[in-house]
Amino acid sequence: MATTALPENVLGAGREVRHAEIVIGIPSYNNVRTVAHVVRAAQAGLAKYFPHFPALIVNSDGGSTDGTREAVLSTEVEDAHLLLLSSPLLPVHRLSFPYHGIPGKGSAFRLIFRIAQELEAKACVVVDSDVRSITPEWFDLLLRPVLHAGYDLVAPYYHRHKYDGTITNSIVYPLTRALYGLRVRQPIGGDFGLSARLIARYLERDDWETDVARYGIDIWMTTIAIAEGFRVCQSFLGAKLHDAKDPGADLSAMLHQVVGSVFTLMQEYEPVWRAREGSQPVDLFGFRFDVGLDPIEVNVERMLDAFRSGCEELREIWALALQPDTHAAIRKLGCEASRNPQFHLEDELWARVICEFASAHKKRPVERGHLLRSLTPLYLARVASFVLETQSLFSVQVEERIEHLCLCFERLKPYLLAQWDSDAGTETEVKP
Amino acid sequence: MIGILWQVLEGALERLSALTTTYLPPLLAGLAILLVAYGIALAARWLLTRIFKGIAVDRFLRQSGISSMLTRSGRLRVTPLVAAGAYWSILLAGLLTALSAFDSRVTSRMVEAVVFLFPKLVIVGAILVAGLWLAQYLGRSTLVWAFNEGLPWPRRLAAAVRALVIFAAVVIAADRLDFGRNIFLAAFILLVGGAVLAASLALGLGGREAVRRYLEERAGRRESEGERSLWSHL
Repeated sequence: MATTALPENVLGAGREVRHAEIVIGIPSYNNVRTVAHVVRAAQAGLAKYFPHFPALIVNSDGGSTDGTREAVLSTEVEDAHLLLLSSPLLPVHRLSFPYHGIPGKGSAFRLIFRIAQELEAKACVVVDSDVRSITPEWFDLLLRPVLHAGYDLVAPYYHRHKYDGTITNSIVYPLTRALYGLRVRQPIGGDFGLSARLIARYLERDDWETDVARYGIDIWMTTIAIAEGFRVCQSFLGAKLHDAKDPGADLSAMLHQVVGSVFTLMQEYEPVWRAREGSQPVDLFGFRFDVGLDPIEVNVERMLDAFRSGCEELREIWALALQPDTHAAIRKLGCEASRNPQFHLEDELWARVICEFASAHKKRPVERGHLLRSLTPLYLARVASFVLETQSLFSVQVEERIEHLCLCFERLKPYLLAQWDSDAGTETEVKP
Repeated sequence: MIGILWQVLEGALERLSALTTTYLPPLLAGLAILLVAYGIALAARWLLTRIFKGIAVDRFLRQSGISSMLTRSGRLRVTPLVAAGAYWSILLAGLLTALSAFDSRVTSRMVEAVVFLFPKLVIVGAILVAGLWLAQYLGRSTLVWAFNEGLPWPRRLAAAVRALVIFAAVVIAADRLDFGRNIFLAAFILLVGGAVLAASLALGLGGREAVRRYLEERAGRRESEGERSLWSHL
């Protein structure tokens, strides 16, 4: 049991609240622009859909300096009539704490889960504090399957811009689906409904001080739920419009944390994914509808520059992970990237790259950091290829392209197993 | 006359006899020891090649990053490496034992020197291997970091870090062997001090404007990335 005691101020606040059947957790870091809207939506959702459930909203803050915590504590739903409620809104307890330990979303979640467990909550919802499109209905959709249908994890299902969520679309969704056989479309969506049983399981684990403390938390939660046989479903939440996660955030660190968590969990759950073939759809709740999305500007040329430069500078590291033919194909692509306006990184080549990096991550523990951080230009090449390929496509067609990539990952699972099991080093010759 | 000749011949025969009785037995003993050692070395190599597949060691070398440090192309095969190591170690031990059979001052000093130096050589070897490993590791860390930070010439930076770490390992190794201690130490201090001074002067005098421009450009790039980055990778 890795759970440590809650800080005294949290315990004191918990004693005051005594019991809550629903806990809504909002991790934050300098989100004063959007957090009040999220808190209002949470309060309204609780009042409208769960008026008889004692509830608590917890803000777990990473040391914001822009007044995020004050905004959480002072936000009120001004007018009950707007929500068409027959009874006046009851005040919902709100708490805001700075969390301690490794700075990151995972550490924020850990505090929220410990409070939920302490208060013996039946269900917990965590939502990002940067979401602008959140509505009270999100809380109904994320809580109801847990409270009334016995699900343990409710993953989000949104409409996102075709260029949004690129780590999800190019790596995490196809790989998770191929490995564990469940089509959870947004495994790192950030907004989840959770049962008490699943929260207890999370808190039992002792890997909170790893990348899980940071951006690795979402895929960690989803993977554990799927691999350990918890009941998983999805809820359609509409559009996901949000502020930039952290404009200053280092992409390679983010990629490192997310992909590193996927690869690490692959080792733990090897017996589970080894036995699974193909994939199954997951129950989806909510009424699906089309929504308009913010336009997104993407600088393809800069991504291709990074890839070209990576081919030149990082070949020594890539040689540790990639098979000779894969490495040669990537280098050829890098040489052609500047001349070819129709740059295209094929699905199969991309899937092979990911399979080989996953295997190298297992076989070369000392060099894991180098391998994961060197993945950034390859990932940017894949994103650039995807953007060029889908620039004139509508969202339905884009979804078909992602489905094609997922099937490619599923088809290459025997290749992944062969790479995973081979004891030979993969080091390829590096010519000066 | 015949008597003198006879005396000379007798003397020569005595000396030959003395030489033979002094050196032939140890020579024969030495040759026998060498032969036995050679036989044992061959047997050890054969045995190791046959029964020791080196799978676990291969895995250790790969996982620890040592194999990628020692070989840039192909993979490091441990079985022949270990077999050859055992073969040459046994031969060397046999040679030393054979030399010690002569029991002369020169051979004794040779054996003593090798026995005295051997632990030091092992330690120096370990220092150099550790230095190479660290140089490779830090070089790769620098390479990936410099690339992701968008710094110019990541590979040259990595090569500089590698060279510095290897040089430090050589200085430590030379110090252990009492070999050119002052020269290496002075060279090391001069190199590091010189590099720091050169960098300071370059930044302070010549490169101030260039660095300022670079940092401004970089900050501008970050800012514009932030403005544009309405999309999320996650």
